Amino acid sequence: MSEKWSPLIVLVLAGVAAILMGSGAAWLSTSTLIAIYSLLALSVGLTYGQGGILSVAQGAFASIGAYTTGILTTRYGISPFFTLPIAVLLPMIIAFPVARLVSPLSPLVLAIATLMFATIVEILLRSGGDLTGGFLGLSGIPPLFAAQTPVTFNLIAWLAVVVVVFLYTNLMNSAWGRAINTVRHDSVRAVADGTNVARIQSLIFGLGAGIAGLAGWLYAHQLSFISPDLFGIPVSINAILMAVVGGAGVILGPVLGAVTLSLFYEFLPGQEARGMFYGAALILTLVVAPSGLLGFVRRRRPSKRSQSLKSASVLVSEKAFP
Amino acid sequence: MIDFIILGIVVGISYGLLALPLSLLFIATGTVDFALGAYAVVAGLVCFLVGGELGIAAGVLSATLAAGIVGVISRLLDHKRRADHLTLVLASFGFAIFLESLVLSTYGEQPFVRHSFVDYWDIAGVRVSPQAGIDLAAALVVLSATFALLYATPVGRMMRASAINPLGAILTGIPVQWMRALTFVFAGLLAGVAGVLYLYTSGLSYSSGMHLALSGFGAAIIFGLKSPLRAFLGGIAIGLVEALSNGYLPSHVATVVPLIFIFIVLILQGTSRTLSGGRA
Repeated sequence: MSEKWSPLIVLVLAGVAAILMGSGAAWLSTSTLIAIYSLLALSVGLTYGQGGILSVAQGAFASIGAYTTGILTTRYGISPFFTLPIAVLLPMIIAFPVARLVSPLSPLVLAIATLMFATIVEILLRSGGDLTGGFLGLSGIPPLFAAQTPVTFNLIAWLAVVVVVFLYTNLMNSAWGRAINTVRHDSVRAVADGTNVARIQSLIFGLGAGIAGLAGWLYAHQLSFISPDLFGIPVSINAILMAVVGGAGVILGPVLGAVTLSLFYEFLPGQEARGMFYGAALILTLVVAPSGLLGFVRRRRPSKRSQSLKSASVLVSEKAFP
Repeated sequence: MIDFIILGIVVGISYGLLALPLSLLFIATGTVDFALGAYAVVAGLVCFLVGGELGIAAGVLSATLAAGIVGVISRLLDHKRRADHLTLVLASFGFAIFLESLVLSTYGEQPFVRHSFVDYWDIAGVRVSPQAGIDLAAALVVLSATFALLYATPVGRMMRASAINPLGAILTGIPVQWMRALTFVFAGLLAGVAGVLYLYTSGLSYSSGMHLALSGFGAAIIFGLKSPLRAFLGGIAIGLVEALSNGYLPSHVATVVPLIFIFIVLILQGTSRTLSGGRA
């Protein structure tokens, strides 16, 4: 199946799930949380799966988005819909210079540099005094609109996922998308093709940050309360794990990973022993399907086009993520 | 001034203790095991529960065994051929979650610590536990042992060769997979030693593993991952920066300074490779 249908698949499945759930409160909050995690995992999928930049700062960008809307709505009484573009754009604007700084680094060092950046953001939010509410965070963030119910919010969250998947699919089918994949695969070749590697890397990093900012915006208006550790390092790492388990290189992979891991975690027995099952399942997935669940399926059942491509380029060795 | 420096060195030694195995792993396998902090916690807990001299041995042994499991996982991942180094890093995160939950469900949330000294040394007006001296001595012994292993034995040469050029190493008859597994186990041993020392110094709790691994990695990376000595000195450098900023800056600024320090050193590595001694 072509990846062109990705947004439609999410739309249909989310719609079916929404109808099946009806108005069960526990189910709805789980579903909304999965949608928010899907957005975070999608931002990882774009930056890491497509661009090859492993960022541990996606949670920090979500935090920036959440705080932007939190501060603007509670302190200045601006409508949540006007803060949406700011909550998406501000993380992007912050991400561009960071990307310029970290993109020359080798993959592992880059990951650590983003981790340091995320920790710095968390500490700054914590010590922001009256503006960010310090340790306690901000409370009393208004809902999106007066008649907001868990049902409508769940729909809005999944609609956001569908829109992001749609734009993501379009991006990857464009010349930009091909440039992004070339940069990941072989940056020297990308330079030879006339691609501005630094600009492409800043672009993906920035777009990923924007998606994370959207997730933060949604979460702030769902919870009506935000604190500095809401999107801490564990959340960023979780988002990476979701993307990798689902298949970071496939557009729908991160969404599948978010659904699978969230449901898996939700239904695991025991409070304290939960992490043992979670960790074990994670390692098992990585060992059995290193390129994620969807990557695994795609490799097992190659489409006609990729089969003919494969026979044409037998001698070219395959690399998952260089 | 001098008191903060002493304090910084004491803290820095504990960072350096974990930076050492991280750097060793990177030299020999080209990847990083983030579960190292969790091994240290496991070693500390086993040592605490068993007690006595036997406990120390049991603690180190348990960490070594845990590291052996990751060695096996790395072998399985290699078998797939498609996996890159980052996949193992993520798998080691998974294993760290596993161990953290194991410690939580067997022991619980309360911290575990053991103090073996009542009298404190007085160095330039700072009360320093003699344990810090033991830590330093142990760190130096471990450091020299690592150097001896890496640069003076055939096994060490084989380890380095398998990291620099795996294919070439296989062609010259080096059992590359065994070398990698051995390195994981040895790194686990070092993490176990670190864990036992942490238990006697400032104590551990089920959740300290990830923090230990991250600060150890930050320490290891600033002067370049490629040398165990630099990794250890990196730990002391971070300890110093932390202590000095805690001493002279307002508290909310002080917590950011060490992180900004690491961030800037990393960025500088990206622009000029002289500090790092090659790409880390």
